[in-house]
Amino acid sequence: MGRKAPSQALSAAIIALAAVGAAGCGIKGAVPQNSGQAASVNLSLRTVPTIRSVTVSPASASFGNCEGGLASRNTQSTPGKLGFPNGHCFVGLLTPGFYPVTITNTGIASAIDVNGTSAYPSDGGVQWILCNRYGRGGPSCTHDGGRLPGKDQYLIENFSAAGEQSVGISGTPTCDPEFYASGHCWAVQGASQSEGIELIGPLVSTDTSTKWTMTITWTPVPTRG
Amino acid sequence: MHLRLGLSAVLGALLVVAAPVAAYASVGVGVQAAPVQLAGAAHPGGTYALPPVYVVNTGTQPESVAIRIERISPGTGRTVPQAWIRVSGLPPPLGRGQSARIPLSLVVPSGARPGQYFSDVVVTGSAVLTAGGAHLGVAAATDLEFRIASGAVSAAWFTVPGWVLLAIVVVVVLAVAVVLMIRSGISIRVERATAGGAARNGGGRGP
Repeated sequence: MGRKAPSQALSAAIIALAAVGAAGCGIKGAVPQNSGQAASVNLSLRTVPTIRSVTVSPASASFGNCEGGLASRNTQSTPGKLGFPNGHCFVGLLTPGFYPVTITNTGIASAIDVNGTSAYPSDGGVQWILCNRYGRGGPSCTHDGGRLPGKDQYLIENFSAAGEQSVGISGTPTCDPEFYASGHCWAVQGASQSEGIELIGPLVSTDTSTKWTMTITWTPVPTRG
Repeated sequence: MHLRLGLSAVLGALLVVAAPVAAYASVGVGVQAAPVQLAGAAHPGGTYALPPVYVVNTGTQPESVAIRIERISPGTGRTVPQAWIRVSGLPPPLGRGQSARIPLSLVVPSGARPGQYFSDVVVTGSAVLTAGGAHLGVAAATDLEFRIASGAVSAAWFTVPGWVLLAIVVVVVLAVAVVLMIRSGISIRVERATAGGAARNGGGRGP
């Protein structure tokens, strides 16, 4: 053991000297002949975009193909005007399938949420509140056991080739079921879905305005995992 | 059979043409995917600058953007109250492909509970309505995360203007110089030379 110590120290010293020598060789090779002048190499690198974004087309659409209402009360729907009670209008068509609103995930993979707002009358009066069938996802519709909107309520459903979302869009951003085909409304970059919209009006409207506005918004949202 | 097919095709085409779609422009908005995070912990009663949020118009229409704080994505921690986040300076309407960075600040009330906080920064675009009553809107969300540590923010107990500090430094330097001079034994003697004194000196040298 006592002999081993000096030999180990010698080995270590040799290895260290060799390392220094090797490093020195490396340095010598790297140093340019005209040492003292700085040299640089310009490098460039491109990265993938890290933006979360969505695009909706067309920018604006109007409801048409309205049906329902009561002819006996002269409140039946006309093709471009919603009737009462519980008339319904479309952006696009269920049959034959026509889905004029295209939602495209133009950013990184995200969940696509959708939400709606209340309907605002042009005179600034009483709004129609967005409701959901049987209270699934938001305030419950109050007519026909929760199936149809009651007084000053309305319902929006979106549909696509994947089917119709029958519960209704809620007021807070929630997973757009029309993107369910890809699993949990997950959309990768470039994924798009063409959708139509059905609006079911109230049983009765307190406000007598004949022009109403509402907004449907799609939002890409971060997810975990 | 052929007649039926032809009628269906014509009907389908008519429906497509007659469908009340007003415009084929697009609306789009984007936000940075990286979460908005505060470096270090915040304290109750403090105000902190958050990293500015990057927003971009990805549609063809000019967009005015607005920001709201809403918890819509899954995450852990207390929900950030909307009132805690101040948006200072929204950009002018963004053209196609234009982007901006929107400064945010976090104002923590003195009674805020310590812990991890989580919500989303939701950037909403406002597209121009061109026809009809249905607005189709867009928004984009990114996470907002920060931690509040216990204990109020430490207020500066002694604050003086910069010129006062400078004056103090000058006085100290002068004092040190004087002390050093006294210790080194160097003395400066100031004498006043007068004309009369010079004449007397000269007269004294004579025989």
